[in-house]
Amino acid sequence: MDARLRRVNKEIADCKNDKQSNISIELVDSSPFHLIGAFDGPEGTPYEGGHFQVDISIPDSYPFQPVKMKFITKVYHPNISSASGAICLDILKDAWSPVLTLKSTLISLQSLLCSPEPRDPQDAEVAKHYMTSKSSFEETARYWTQIYAGGPGKEDMGKACDEGLRDEVVMAGLDRAHVDQFEALGFERSKVIDVLRRMNYRGANVAQINDDRVVEELLKS
Amino acid sequence: MSSNDEYSDNEYYDEEDEDVYDMEDDGSASEMELDGTADYDPSRPSRKLYEVDYDTLTQEDVGRLMIADVENISGIFGVDPDIASLMLRWADWNKEKLIEKYMDNANAVSVAAGISPPEKAPEGRSQSSSSRQNALGPRRSSARRGAQDSVKSGKTKLMERISPPIEDAKFVCPICFDDTQTETLALPCEHKFCKSCWDAYITSKVRTEAESRIACMGEGCSLIAPDQFVRSALEDSETWERFQELLVRHFVSEMPNLKYCPYPSCTHTVSCPSATKSSLATTVPIVNCGASTTHSFCFGCNVDSDHRPVICAVAKMWLQKCRDDSETANWIKSNTKECSKCQSTIEKNGGCNHMTCKKCKYEFCWVCMGPWSEHGTSWYNCNRYDEKASVDARDAQSKSRASLERYLHYYNRWANHEQSKKLSVELYAKTEKKMEEMQVTSELSWIEVQFMKKAVDEVIKCRTTLMWTYGMAYYLERGNEKELFEDNQRDLERAVEDLSELIESPFDPEVIKTLRQKVTDKTVYVQKRNEIVLEDTAKGFQEGRWIWNVPVAGLD
Ligand SMILES: [Zn+2]
Ligand SMILES: [Zn+2]
Ligand SMILES: [Zn+2]
Ligand SMILES: [Zn+2]
Ligand SMILES: [Zn+2]
Ligand SMILES: [Zn+2]
Repeated sequence: MDARLRRVNKEIADCKNDKQSNISIELVDSSPFHLIGAFDGPEGTPYEGGHFQVDISIPDSYPFQPVKMKFITKVYHPNISSASGAICLDILKDAWSPVLTLKSTLISLQSLLCSPEPRDPQDAEVAKHYMTSKSSFEETARYWTQIYAGGPGKEDMGKACDEGLRDEVVMAGLDRAHVDQFEALGFERSKVIDVLRRMNYRGANVAQINDDRVVEELLKS
Repeated sequence: MSSNDEYSDNEYYDEEDEDVYDMEDDGSASEMELDGTADYDPSRPSRKLYEVDYDTLTQEDVGRLMIADVENISGIFGVDPDIASLMLRWADWNKEKLIEKYMDNANAVSVAAGISPPEKAPEGRSQSSSSRQNALGPRRSSARRGAQDSVKSGKTKLMERISPPIEDAKFVCPICFDDTQTETLALPCEHKFCKSCWDAYITSKVRTEAESRIACMGEGCSLIAPDQFVRSALEDSETWERFQELLVRHFVSEMPNLKYCPYPSCTHTVSCPSATKSSLATTVPIVNCGASTTHSFCFGCNVDSDHRPVICAVAKMWLQKCRDDSETANWIKSNTKECSKCQSTIEKNGGCNHMTCKKCKYEFCWVCMGPWSEHGTSWYNCNRYDEKASVDARDAQSKSRASLERYLHYYNRWANHEQSKKLSVELYAKTEKKMEEMQVTSELSWIEVQFMKKAVDEVIKCRTTLMWTYGMAYYLERGNEKELFEDNQRDLERAVEDLSELIESPFDPEVIKTLRQKVTDKTVYVQKRNEIVLEDTAKGFQEGRWIWNVPVAGLD
């Protein structure tokens, strides 16, 4: 049997047999080289209670070249693109070793959720948010977990997961008062959210950003 | 030989041209001038002002340079050559730096170069022959030692790997999970894997990543496989050869006086110590790798394979300008392709600028769309931008229009020669057909009709020069020097268009000998004009005659 196929089949089987790690790997179609991995958000983090899915694609030269992974579930995290789910993690690049497995890589992703590395960001805006105010960042990350990863608190919010009723201000990690303030100047609410998010109008930063600059940006956008 | 001698150049023609000289029947003086010795000799004594001295090296030649360095370090440090080689690669082949670091802390170097594992870096005392031996070759261990090796794998903080069973006797490769593999290899870190996994891994690194630094497959292990190990792991000799080529490439890339030939799958190297950074302000180091006459490139930049006569920095600036203004240029290009008299569309399908409209027979210049009668017979006034006329600009707006017009003047002529060059494939095909016809309709032999190919060669070569003279003229400050430059440019351009027209026009078999003489003479003349442009421009750089109208990077 082809060495790659034998190895991947064994990895999938090992993962099925392992009930402790709570990591799952499922086939998408009949090919064992395109999979979906899943795990729970780590306890004591803003991702707790969420269930995260990862798209796994196994290259031809696996395991000598790293496996390709990206989040299917939207995640608010400095090292994960909030738009595409792309992941910035050394073992998925140059630090990959052929002795690593799909399961061990998924466990690494899980622990990446515990320990963000904002100095090597995938999503610069999220990283800025993290650096400016960790508590505000965590609030946003928790909200994203509720909305996208089925995290707790969903019930209290009723139908919040419906696109229309989602609180965009919380989604962007902004202060409602700030959004209201600029909306009152006659700008569209969604535009205000977009600009304030891009400018990282949060925490201690607020004092340093002149209102005129915000208005300038709003006029430009 | 005649006084034209100084204009014959060794590099102009291929080997086959030598025969032409021998078989010459009418032996015209001008044709003799075309027959340089084609054998390439970089140390030719009659170096032109616009040429640089350089040497060509094969992969084996570079290999010998590397071995000399390795043996040198191996002797100084008293280590095996494979180890010395790993250290040199780590130090980017900087021997002085390596020796300094090694004297300072040999163990640190050994760890950093991936020779010994960090925890068990050999203490100075224990760096005996046996530990050197360890670091060296592949460790072939029997299955019995497998268990002991696999327990060693330390830190498992984030990662969890599928461990092979710890029972005796049976070794399960932690990568392919195969328990039938009998041959295993490990570096001194003792991360053991089956040979076929090592083979697949090294092959993947070498072939798909073009990586010659083969780190151990163990997680977080930074040991580097020495050459002997790589060789013993690889089944395929082609991958081993590719690996060696990568090592040579790395070495060459670290040497400031060496450059690898940029042509695909060529493995030659050029050594050009005279092409220093400061020399690039006054010389254009065009070199040839020696593998093929077409493998010419600039040692100073990668803007173009030959951008003489203009220096690298200005050539780069010009190309950037063309890229930045490509939108405007495209507009112009796509708007000037109809006959200025009857407006029927005209397709340029050769290099010649003398256009004759198929419909109304109007003869005009492709570059300026003006009537050809004002060009060919009187004088070729199509190369010089009339600054005075356009500097009449009064307000800022017309000034900026004038500056755009000025740019387009140079750009159009540049693009025109570039486009003609691109059509060279068709021109060669057409010429070859013509040469066949000539053999049929006249008693000339294949070798005797080569004058046509030579003419095409020359035209294409000179179009490169012309292209770059426009890039240069754009940045030249107005004045006498620029005018002289443009005079030379105009003379070359006229000669080239003349020859180009001659070789593209239909021929009369009756007067083939006359045509041959005419083409040959014109080819020599074009060659001479090209020499003058290149030589005088090179001289101007040495004399500091060229004044730029903008600041040029790297010049004071
Ligand atoms: Zn194996
Ligand atoms: Zn190792
Ligand atoms: Zn070459
Ligand atoms: Zn150059
Ligand atoms: Zn016409
Ligand atoms: Zn013209």
